[in-house]
Parts: sequence; C-alpha cells; structure tokens
Amino acid sequence: MAHGQTPNKFSIRGIVSDTNKVTLPSATVMLLSPKDSALINFGRTNDKGEFEFKNVRRGEYLLKITYVGYLPHQQTITPADEAVTELGTIKMRELNKDLYEVVIKTARAPLSIKGDMIEYDASSFKVPPGSTVEDLLKKLPGVQVDENGNIKAQGQDVKKVTVDGKSFFGSDPKLATKNLSAQAVSKVQVFNDKSEQSKITGVDDGKKEKTVNLELKEEFKKGGFGKVTGGIGTQERVELKANYNKFNAKEQFSIIGLGNNTNQTGLSFDDYQDFRGSQSFSWGDEADFGFGSNTRSFYFGGDDGEGISIPVGGGARDRGFTKSYAAGINYNYDTKKTKFSSNYYFSQADQTVNTLLSRENFFPNGSVKTIDNNNRFNANGNHRASLRYEKTLDSLNTLIVIGNGRYGNGNSTFGSAQQLFRNSDVKTRQTTIDNASKFNSFALTSTLIYRHKFKKKGRNFAFSAAYNINNADGRNRQQSLNELFQASTVNDILRNINQRDTSLSRQNQLKSSLFYLEPLSKKFFWETFYNFSLRKIEVDRNLSDILSSDQPRRNDTLSQYYTTDYVYNRLGTSIRYSFKGLNISVGLAGQHFNLDGQFATDQTARSFGRVQRSFLVWVPNASFNYDLKNNKYIYSSYDANVREPSTRDLQPVIDNSNPLFIREGNPNLVPQVTHDFSVGYNSFDAGSFTNIYVSANYEYMVNQIVYNQNISSNLVTRTRPENISGGQSYGTYIGMGFPLKKTKATLNLNSSLNFGNSLTFINDVLNKTQTNGYNLGLRLDLTPSEIFTFYGNARWFLNTTKYSINSAQNQQFTNTTYTGEMNIKLPKEIYFSSRLNYRIFKNERFGFEQNQPILTLSVYKIIMKDKKGEIRLTANDVFNQTQGITQNVGANFISNETTPTLARYFMLSFTYNMRGVTNQMRKRNNW
Amino acid sequence: MKTNVLVLLMCLWADMAWGQLQPKDEGVVTYERVQYWTKIYARLTYLSQEEKDRMKLTWGSDDEWKLKMKLSFNPRASLYTYESEQGETEDGSYSWRQDEFVIQRDFEKSKKTEIHEMLGKTYILEDSLAAPDWKILNQIKEVNGYLCMKAVSEDTTKKQKIVAWFAQDIAVSAGPEQYFGLPGLIMELDINDGDVLITATKVEFKKLDKETALPKLKGKRITEKTYTQLLWKHIDESIKARRNPYWAIRY
Repeated sequence: MAHGQTPNKFSIRGIVSDTNKVTLPSATVMLLSPKDSALINFGRTNDKGEFEFKNVRRGEYLLKITYVGYLPHQQTITPADEAVTELGTIKMRELNKDLYEVVIKTARAPLSIKGDMIEYDASSFKVPPGSTVEDLLKKLPGVQVDENGNIKAQGQDVKKVTVDGKSFFGSDPKLATKNLSAQAVSKVQVFNDKSEQSKITGVDDGKKEKTVNLELKEEFKKGGFGKVTGGIGTQERVELKANYNKFNAKEQFSIIGLGNNTNQTGLSFDDYQDFRGSQSFSWGDEADFGFGSNTRSFYFGGDDGEGISIPVGGGARDRGFTKSYAAGINYNYDTKKTKFSSNYYFSQADQTVNTLLSRENFFPNGSVKTIDNNNRFNANGNHRASLRYEKTLDSLNTLIVIGNGRYGNGNSTFGSAQQLFRNSDVKTRQTTIDNASKFNSFALTSTLIYRHKFKKKGRNFAFSAAYNINNADGRNRQQSLNELFQASTVNDILRNINQRDTSLSRQNQLKSSLFYLEPLSKKFFWETFYNFSLRKIEVDRNLSDILSSDQPRRNDTLSQYYTTDYVYNRLGTSIRYSFKGLNISVGLAGQHFNLDGQFATDQTARSFGRVQRSFLVWVPNASFNYDLKNNKYIYSSYDANVREPSTRDLQPVIDNSNPLFIREGNPNLVPQVTHDFSVGYNSFDAGSFTNIYVSANYEYMVNQIVYNQNISSNLVTRTRPENISGGQSYGTYIGMGFPLKKTKATLNLNSSLNFGNSLTFINDVLNKTQTNGYNLGLRLDLTPSEIFTFYGNARWFLNTTKYSINSAQNQQFTNTTYTGEMNIKLPKEIYFSSRLNYRIFKNERFGFEQNQPILTLSVYKIIMKDKKGEIRLTANDVFNQTQGITQNVGANFISNETTPTLARYFMLSFTYNMRGVTNQMRKRNNW
Repeated sequence: MKTNVLVLLMCLWADMAWGQLQPKDEGVVTYERVQYWTKIYARLTYLSQEEKDRMKLTWGSDDEWKLKMKLSFNPRASLYTYESEQGETEDGSYSWRQDEFVIQRDFEKSKKTEIHEMLGKTYILEDSLAAPDWKILNQIKEVNGYLCMKAVSEDTTKKQKIVAWFAQDIAVSAGPEQYFGLPGLIMELDINDGDVLITATKVEFKKLDKETALPKLKGKRITEKTYTQLLWKHIDESIKARRNPYWAIRY
C-alpha cells in the first residue's frame, strides 16, 4: 500500500463498541451526504468491531452507525489532512430495554426516535369510532392512563399535553385528552420538555417535564360536497336537481332530490353512484347458487320503473310528456368487518301519452288494419327502502342480510277510438274505450346469505334463505262501445261494455340454496349446489257488469279466482379444472317442477278446477376460459335455460274477456328449454391501444311455448299455447378499436349479423318467420387539441323478414343513424357544444321513409371562484323534429306509431358544484 | 423456573449454533404486495375532482389488489418474482395467467436482468447494476420481527416517492420490485404514499440452490435506457388519451 498522498481522496477508520467498551461486530456503518442524508457508501464492522471506508472523495460526511438494540449513532466527519481520518472508538448507547421491547417490538408501527423524542403514528393503533385521545393513549405501548385520566409515559408523569405544539385548555393535560377525538389525531409525540419555569426565566434549570404533543390530521378523509342544478325554459319547461354528500373514513351520508318536466326520469348513473356511495355495487349478493357461483359475482341494483331497487339510467323518455319527482336519503357505514347500508327513495312520474297507431295484421286469407287514436295518463308513485348488513364474523365466516321493500300506488286513464278495416279498406268495426284504474302494490325481498370457508384451502360452503312478497290490488273501470259493421244480426251491431272490477294478486315465495365446493387436487374442484323454492300465488278478480239501471251484476264468466303452488327443486354438480388461466367446467343439473293449481270463478265456488303437473328437466352446462399471453382471451360456453309454463297457460279454460281475442289454456304444455352456445375472443394491446372483440352465438329452442292463432272469418282471433321445437337463432359480432393517430384520432368499427327463425301455427298452417339483421357501426373520436373535439358515429342497420306462408308479406327496412358531437373551447371559460343526431328510417314495401335530424346546441360559461358555477343556455331539438315515431315488425304484423313528444325548447340553467364544474370537452372513456 | 431458564438457554444455544452454520444472508422472503386503485386514480390529472371523489366513495373501501411475491437472496444475487405460478381466487377454483415478471440482480457481476410483459410484448431488460439514490432517515420501526431503518428515494420516470424500510441485521442489499442497494434487506416498500405497499410476511433463511438463476429468456432485449423511454412514452400517451397507464404497466 505505497500510495502517494492523494489530496482529493481519503479513508475513514473507526471501531464500534458499546458503552462498556465491548466491540460490536457486524454493525451497519453508513456514510451519508450531510446536506440531504444521501447514502454514499456503507459497510459492516468486522469481528473486532472495526470499519474502514477507503478512498472516499474528500469532504464532509455524516457517519451513521446502527446496531440492533442500540440507539442509532450519528456524527459529522471533517477530513483531517492525513490520508486516513481516524475516528477512534465510537460508543453506541444502548436503547432503553423497555423502550425497545415494549415500544418498538409490540407497536410494530413507524416510530420515530429523534434524540429522546418518540413519535407514534396514531393510525396504527385502532380505536373504536367516537373514542377520545385518552382511549388512544391507553393503546400506546409505554404509555399508561389511570382511572382518573392521569398519564404516565415511560414510567414518568406527563405534565403537559400540547396540540400542534400549542398548549390546550390551560395547564391540565387531561382536558385535552378527554375532550379531543382520537380520530382527529395523526401523530402522538412523547418527549422531555424544559420546565415552564425555565421557559419563563430563560434559565435552564435542568428539570425536564414529560410532554405529550398531539399532531392533528389533515382533514383529508372527512368531507362534504354537493351540487345543485336549476333550469327554466320555454314551453313551460323547468328542472331542478340537488344532492349533498357528507362522509368520513367510515360513514357516508347523502341526500338527493329532483323534479322536472323535461322527460328525465330516474337517476343518472353518476347520480346513483353519488347517492349510494360504497354500496352502489354489491359483490356476492346472489343468493340463488348455481353453476360457477363460487366466483365473486357482481350484482348491480337498478332497473326501470317497477322493480324493487332504485330506478337508474332511465334517461330521457322519448314518448309523451312526463313530469318526474324524486327524493332520497342514504346512509352507509363501512369497515373491513362490518358494512351497513340503508336508504329511502321516493319517486313519482306522471306521464301523458297520446298515440296514433296504425297496425296491420296479415293472415293467409287477407289482412286487418287497425287505426287507433288513444290517450293514456299514468300517475305512479313508489316508496322504496332498503337495508343491507354484511358482517365478517371471523376469517372463515361471513353473514349478509339484505332487505328491500317497495310500496307503490297510482292511477291511470285510457281513452281510445279504434277502427278496423278488412283488407285495408272495408271498415268492419269501430270501438271507443274509456277506461280508468287505481292500483297499489307492495313488494318485499329479504335475503340471508351465510358463507363459510373451511381451514382446508378451497373447501367452501354457502347457505342462503330468502322470503319474498309481491302483492298488487287494483280497481278498474272498463267502458267501451263496439260497432260491428258486418254483423248479421241487429244484436251484434252494437256491443256496449260497462264493467267494474277489483283485482287482487298475492305472491309469496320461500327460497333456499346450498353450495359446496371441494378441492379434489390442486387443479380439480368439485362443486355441488341445491336450490329449493316454494311459490304461492293467489289471484282474485271480481267483475261486474253495470246494467242500464246503474246496478252492478256479477259477471261469472269474466270473474276469476285461482291459486297455484309451485315447488321447485334443483340439484346440480360440476367438475372444474383450473390451472394458470385455463379454466374448464362441465356440469349437469336436474330441475324438478311441481305445480298445483286450483281455479274457479270465485273463492266461494263449490267445486274447483285443478291443474297438477310435474316436470323433470336435465340441464347440462359447460364453460371454457383461457388466458393467452399479452392480454388475449378465448372463451366458450354452453348452457340451457328452462322456462316453466305459467298457470294461466296451463288452465284448460277459455278466457273470452276480450270477445275479439279469445285465449285458451293448454294443460299439456311442457317446459321450454333453450340451448345456448357461445364462443369468443378478446384482445387488448395496451402498447398500441388496439382492442379486438370477436364472438359468435347459437341458440336452439326445444318445446318452445308459442301462441298459435286461429282467425275466424269474422276476425275473432283464438290463441292457444303449444310446444314446438326447432326455433333457432345465431349471430356473430366483430368489434375493433385502434388509434389512427395516437392520442389524437381513434377509430372503432363493429359489425354484427343476426339470423333467426321462429315458428308458429296460423290457422293450422306452420308459419316460419325468418328474420335477418345486418349491422355495421363506425365511430371516430377526434381529440386534436384542448380547444376542439369531435365525436362522430355512424350506424347502418338492415333488417329482412320472410314469412313462409305468405311471401307477399316479406319485407325489409333500413335504419341509419349519424351522430356528430362537436365541442369548442372559447376564451374566458366559455364553451360551445353541439350534437346532431340524424336518423333515417326506410321501409320500401310500405313506401315509408322518415328523416329525423335532431340538433341540440348549448353554450356554457364556467364562473365563480374555483370554477364552482356554470351558466348554460341549451337549445333542444332546434329543428323541432322529435316526433316519437316507432315502427314495429312482428311475425305477422307491422305497426307504426306516432306519439307527440317533447320537442324543441330552450333552457337556461345554472349549476353550482362544490367540487368545481368540469367542462365537457372530452367524453369519458373507459379509463 | 429452572427448566424455563434451561429451555431458554438451549434455545439460545441452538440459535447461535444454527446461526453459525447458516449465516443470515441467504434465503427467501415472502412479500404481500397491496395496490390501492382509487389512490392511483386520484393522481390522474385528467379526472375531475368529482370523478375522483365518486371513485373513492364507491370503491375506496374495496380497492385492494393483493399479490404474493417472493425474493430469493444471497450476497451474490437476488431474484424477485410471483410466489405462486398462477393468479387465483381466494379458494383457488378459478385461475388466471400472470404477466411474466422477473427481477434479477447479479451483485457479483454487477448486472441486472429483468423480464417484463407489458405494452403487449415481453421485454428482456439487461444492463449494468446501478443502485437507486437513497437517503437515510432517522425513523425506525419493526417489520415482521426485524428492526428496520427508513430510506427514501424517487422513481423519476413514474414520478413516485419511494420509502424503504431495511433490516439492520440482514446484511444483504437486495429488495422487492426494482429496489436494492441499502445496507440491509428491504422488508417494506411504500410506493407513492401508500399507493402500493409491499410488506415482508415471512423470512426464511436457507441455503439456496438455483432459486436466483434466471429462467429461459424469450423476448425483446432492451437496455435500461430503452425501458425508461418505453415507460415514459406510454405514460405520456396514456395521460393524453385519458387512460390509466397502470393497467398496462406495473405501478
């Protein structure tokens, strides 16, 4: 080692020992930069406790030595002039044993030790909600609190408690600890402070006082926000919507209210999510276990209108005029172990619909055209409440209890003037209707799910029980006048109906399911499930004719009473293989239905008719999923769905409540089975932002329940349900999306083809209806800059329908839609947005062509501090083209309907959003 | 009492004897890696406060994505990858493929080799070994029975704050993910204020056989520089296209 003097390098040497001069081998020695503690070099002491850093750049260093059980040692090194700077023996101070064992070992929490100060991270010590700081201190290792609230830290009395370094409520330390909420504290620091006396005099008397300082949390987990939007427009249009949320780490509370006459019903998806918070989506709430139900299934509450859960995504109603009101309140409590949620929601929708309907039905020997001018008014209110409680009892057991209820009432009126023409021009009948009804309904679902995991990995058991009620009562008035122009007798020329009825329906269901999963090996699993359901139905309809003397007389033909008990049992099993992303499952279930129905004209009847049937259906099931490299997936599945015949279809009675449309039951019906096959491929290339989806499906129906028709020469239709096999459908879907220019232009293409045929007997001749649909879609997203965006969409749809019994009725229609949305950012936070929806509908056989350009323009300015406000002017349907026109094509009919609907109006609206208003330059994509 | 002392002594003796035979510098660490999606979304600049709050309220209590990882280490090399050969549901009855991911450090040859399946390709990153710039702080805490010191660093590509807690008495400079180069084994790694938390749940000292050896390398070979550029470009493009970049790359 005969180095010459190197002025810019030097070595550092030293020996590490404890205070008793016992050397410490394998101590960690680090060389840090003094300005930012950056690690420059490190090493360990040898057997003799020696260390050496050779040839380090000359300069100041921070030397840090650590050894388990000792306080970290730190010193600044200034290089001596020599090549080697000798530090001599460095003595490490032992970490107070109590402090080490109790504080560090048991706390396992980030503890800072800065000199004699210990800092605890409060979030690492769990205390129940509502706890005070005192409760928190009791949990801290090395801290004791006696029954009077006196605090000791490391055996010494705590004389002072400060909050963020400031004295709190004078000198009594207990005042702070007993009054302050533990939730508000982020750090607890315990240290020795100079005595008050020495602080005042400025003379350090050497006395130290144990002091506790509480650092308060930033309020990031607690908050509240709200939003209100109000608008006023032409055509007497108004809208108002407001919501407010308040939350902390565990609780969420929200209220929402809305009212409008702009056909907006229900909550938007975002509103719903804001309202329900952590309970917007529930996992594992599916109580009817079946094939593959051990996987965490996803359940989203929400359907339109009359369902048990809050209606979501109703969007704009494009029929008639609707006034909507809704209000709700929601509370969630969420911890890892307990989740509780409750809410109440009221909604009311008053809808007025005036419709001009033209419908043509085709029969082997001609056609019937109906012209119907009707008006309907519906007022419907619903109160909904729900509760959900989930408790993780321990690491192996979970319990979920769910209750949902709905109470609804409403009334409706229906007036109609109908005309029937035979072969398009011969008027055969004219009907005027004046109906009214009042109804109320009540539904309740209650579910309990218990899941148990066994100690053996993969072994699983689940049990569920549910009780559901669905009741409805109604009072109706039916008044109509029928004039038959081709009747042979005078009596038949005029038919007058004036009836009153009350109807009642009661439905109760008791359900239960069991599930068991057994791992056979690492890759094979055996799953078994059993479902039971008992459903009782009671329907009572009492109808009276109102005689000319205004006296009611019971009508036994049209009055009806029936009860049915359905017992359903299903036992299924499957074998599942799972390894590295290849998942295959094959299974079979046996479903047994038992149906026992009684019917009569009234519950007081002496004898009841009876339907008793039982069915056993075997249902196979298979699925295949395979993950390939680089986000490519293949899947395939087969399953069979069973639909049992309804009691109404099975009753061997003739329902002639509508004399022109007579329904007949069929006691020989068997369940319908639909076999479904599907196969597909998906890929997502995140590097090139390219997505591809390809899929195909095939469906085959066995014993499909169809309503065969017989039309008599005087146009009375009789229908009877029958089983028929052979109906099928198949289709393909191809979709892909890729950037034309990354981040600026994206193109999406999709195409689907669907082919299907359905079978029905019409006047005892088998009619096969072949329906083909060809769909092509194209979407272009242009996002070239922050000030201009354009989203274009085009969709072409061609539908052809062919009838085997009457090819003259074959037809085809095309439906083309072009949508363009353009957003422009102007100076001063002013934005302009326009959206054009151009729809072209063509049906050549009927010479029908409709062009409907709907343009909506809006300009808005974001105002106020923190962009909290927005003022907006919207012109809806600038060309006044919304006509509510719908065309329907069925197996042997075509209908065309025009409903005057909310069209052009202008609206001025204002939004205040506590979280700030965001401009709508960019459409949200799937993140 | 006497027997207790005896047992204690025997344990100590056994521990020391074992300690001599088996130095605490070779073995396997099992880590639990937990990723919090809503925290990551909250950092995406293109989302509005309203959207971030909505996500946090809806998913905030249920956004953990847990993964078990393992690190085989000795003073010569380390290899970090998944603990299990497949991703699976809790009961194991449904499995999925995991992206290829191996981080190997060869301390002797000062060389690193990493396998990353990302952005639609498999990349083999090979380059010389350069430790991150660490700063050593004063805090200590215990992780899984080991007293650890705090060190901080920064990922300049992903703009992440890194906090590592390293064991004072395991003198190996290895660690989880791409982090290493501290005086002790990293027992806990906190990426960006808790967006991802990687905590050692088990440390097993044993003689390693071929655990640190690389599997067969198949993929596009790149250097550290190219790798960083790929990430940087992807993050930049994703943010501009308003997509979360971290669905396609590891956070």
